[in-house]
Amino acid sequence: MKALILVGGFGTRLRPLTLSFPKPLVDFANKPMILHQIEALKAIGVTEVVLAINYQPEVMLNFLKDFETKIGIKITCSQETEPLGTAGPLALARDKLADKSGEPFFVLNSDVISEYPLKEMIAFHKSHGGEASIMVTKVDEPSKYGVVVMEESTGKVDSFVEKPKIFVGNKINAGIYLLNPSVLDLIELKPTSIEKEIFPKIASAGQLFAMVLPGFWMDIGQPKDYISGLRLYLDSLRKRAPSKLASGAHIMGNVLVDETAKIGDGCLIGPDVAIGPGCVVESGVRLSRCTIMRGVRIKKHACISSSIIGWHSTVGQWARVENMTILGEDVHVCDEIYSNGGVVLPHKEIKASILKPEIVM
Amino acid sequence: MKNSEEKVVAVIMVGGPTKGTRFRPLSFNTPKPLFPLAGQPMVHHPISACKSIPNLAQIFLIGFHEEREFALYVSSLSSELKIPVRYLKEDKPHGSAGGLYYFRDLIMEDNPSHIFLLNCDVCCSFPLPEMLDAHRRYGGMGTLLVSAESASEFGELVADPITNELLHYTEKPETFVSDLINCGVYVFTPEIFNVIQDIHTHHEDRANLHTLSRSEALWSPTKTPAKDFVRLDQDILSPLAGKKQLYTYQTMDFWEQIKTPAMSLKCSALYLAQFRLNSPNLLARGDGTKNPTVVGDVYIHPSAKVHRTAKIGPNVSISANVRVAAGVRLMSCIILDDAEIQENAFVMYAIVGWKSSLGKWARVQASSDSFTCGEGDYKTKLGITILGEAVTVEDEVVVVNSIVLPNKILNISVQEEIIL
Repeated sequence: MKALILVGGFGTRLRPLTLSFPKPLVDFANKPMILHQIEALKAIGVTEVVLAINYQPEVMLNFLKDFETKIGIKITCSQETEPLGTAGPLALARDKLADKSGEPFFVLNSDVISEYPLKEMIAFHKSHGGEASIMVTKVDEPSKYGVVVMEESTGKVDSFVEKPKIFVGNKINAGIYLLNPSVLDLIELKPTSIEKEIFPKIASAGQLFAMVLPGFWMDIGQPKDYISGLRLYLDSLRKRAPSKLASGAHIMGNVLVDETAKIGDGCLIGPDVAIGPGCVVESGVRLSRCTIMRGVRIKKHACISSSIIGWHSTVGQWARVENMTILGEDVHVCDEIYSNGGVVLPHKEIKASILKPEIVM
Repeated sequence: MKNSEEKVVAVIMVGGPTKGTRFRPLSFNTPKPLFPLAGQPMVHHPISACKSIPNLAQIFLIGFHEEREFALYVSSLSSELKIPVRYLKEDKPHGSAGGLYYFRDLIMEDNPSHIFLLNCDVCCSFPLPEMLDAHRRYGGMGTLLVSAESASEFGELVADPITNELLHYTEKPETFVSDLINCGVYVFTPEIFNVIQDIHTHHEDRANLHTLSRSEALWSPTKTPAKDFVRLDQDILSPLAGKKQLYTYQTMDFWEQIKTPAMSLKCSALYLAQFRLNSPNLLARGDGTKNPTVVGDVYIHPSAKVHRTAKIGPNVSISANVRVAAGVRLMSCIILDDAEIQENAFVMYAIVGWKSSLGKWARVQASSDSFTCGEGDYKTKLGITILGEAVTVEDEVVVVNSIVLPNKILNISVQEEIIL
């Protein structure tokens, strides 16, 4: 089986993190985002993954080379020379996706994190016999998304309504598709939207079926959702593989700590914290609802909540970092500084407190 | 010295509860003169300075605070200084000259040759013996301590550059008069009582006149002052300027007026710095091995318990029975009696009230914007954070540039707020 991951562009919504790495390589729960998807694909027997990308393919491929052998999966890039929307990349990768087997292939949106119930999706796809399956997820505020109007019992999709003003349903496109190769015949090599142009065609032919995604779902394309996404991911990990979570007197709730990270005495960590490889958390530190990326040092008595600390940054003694503070790569917050929602671009030293949310260039 | 038998007395004006409202919320339960600066009550600093006056016979505190509020302090002070210290309670405010006059018989009891008059809410180095020497040289009735400042919120004056005579005096002028200001520290000969008596009589006459012509009240916008209310500045200094009776002595040291809690933090720093010069044994030392790490000038009361992993200073005063737990950071702050600072909490540019409690990783601070050069902002209302008495800041809560009135529990972070 094959799969296409829609990687897309610069990931501007996740800046300043994406100023240092392409979005799929930004760590989420101690793992580059895209690895969550690649591992899930590998687990159900996918042998080749095509990344639809429109910038920096070298960085991506260099990085993923290691994982090709480690995970045992073939990874290739399909580079757009112009943005092709959400369907165009499928046409571009047509030769790679449509092989003689006639098997369906997966299409995944790289911004989305979930439990990837891909096995169930294959079963669902087989059971309805249609050309295409999509995952949908229930949301509280459907008016912000494209709503999928479907027959509840069979999952047969009736129509798509983009940002509905009146309530037509609360299931939205979760960005995970399983498509028969025949679908590729409907797509031309030009900028095309899969939600607006291709799926409505398949739906009108009665060949599109939607499955409600079990478990959590989150688009982690922006910092606020990235932080909530970590909470949902760790909740799910608690149910699926609790042994991967840290435990001890200094741990509160769900916490993921890389085995190479060091944690000092008198700390209180959690809930909903991820501490990456090589991190040093000195004594008396408080961490909650935050991500500490690879190589970060948190000095004594610092306190961090609801924030992302980028790669190889440092947070000084008695510093306070909170309220959606996002530190880019190699940012140094001096001792005793307070950051209330500071968004800091890479390679900066923060010597004065940031009392109200602002961007530090 | 002209006559070594000449006795001197010192009078310190301490005001009363209806004064000093700008010092709230720290003046609700403690009279402002007893608020600690550098670990000592505010009034203690002028009193300590009086010790260096030769032939000091007595110290009087005059104010309209309740006597019992000062009783304990005054009795311990008498035994410490080995000089009688008395608190004289006015039945009502008389003004500084009026208050002095009201107790003239007690003050003149020992027949002193000179009377020092000090306001308790000024912060300076009080160069009293030098002032007395200068006063004797000038041969006038009174000498004022003056300082070079350019701020119109004080009494401004003009002095003769050669003779140092006071030529002109005006209280809080609207336009520029001079860059010399009145420091609120004076030395007088007993002649001052005659001058006050004249004003007194004049007021009395005017008051009688007022009762005669009631119609005057219709066009006179100002209320007639009580006949025994005599201000020193407007009623004495202004009219006597230029009459070869009053002279000035200029201090080159620091001078500040302590009207607001923010100023008390700044003045605490100035007094701590003075301890560094005059009584370094009062300052804390430590390098984190047996005692906490101390940076710069810090006062820690002997009864306070500070964990050795805490880092304290610069400009910190820690009062009696305060408990500071492991990993706490304190800088530029006053921590009042019985307060508790729990593990890893952080305090900067703040005053933490009596019996208040900061939770683990709590943070109480004011900003240190670049425009204040990291010194805190002592001029604006929310320039420092103030926690009143018995305020609880829960774990991890952040309080920035706020004033919290007594007996509040903060469980969410606040910024630039006054919490009633």
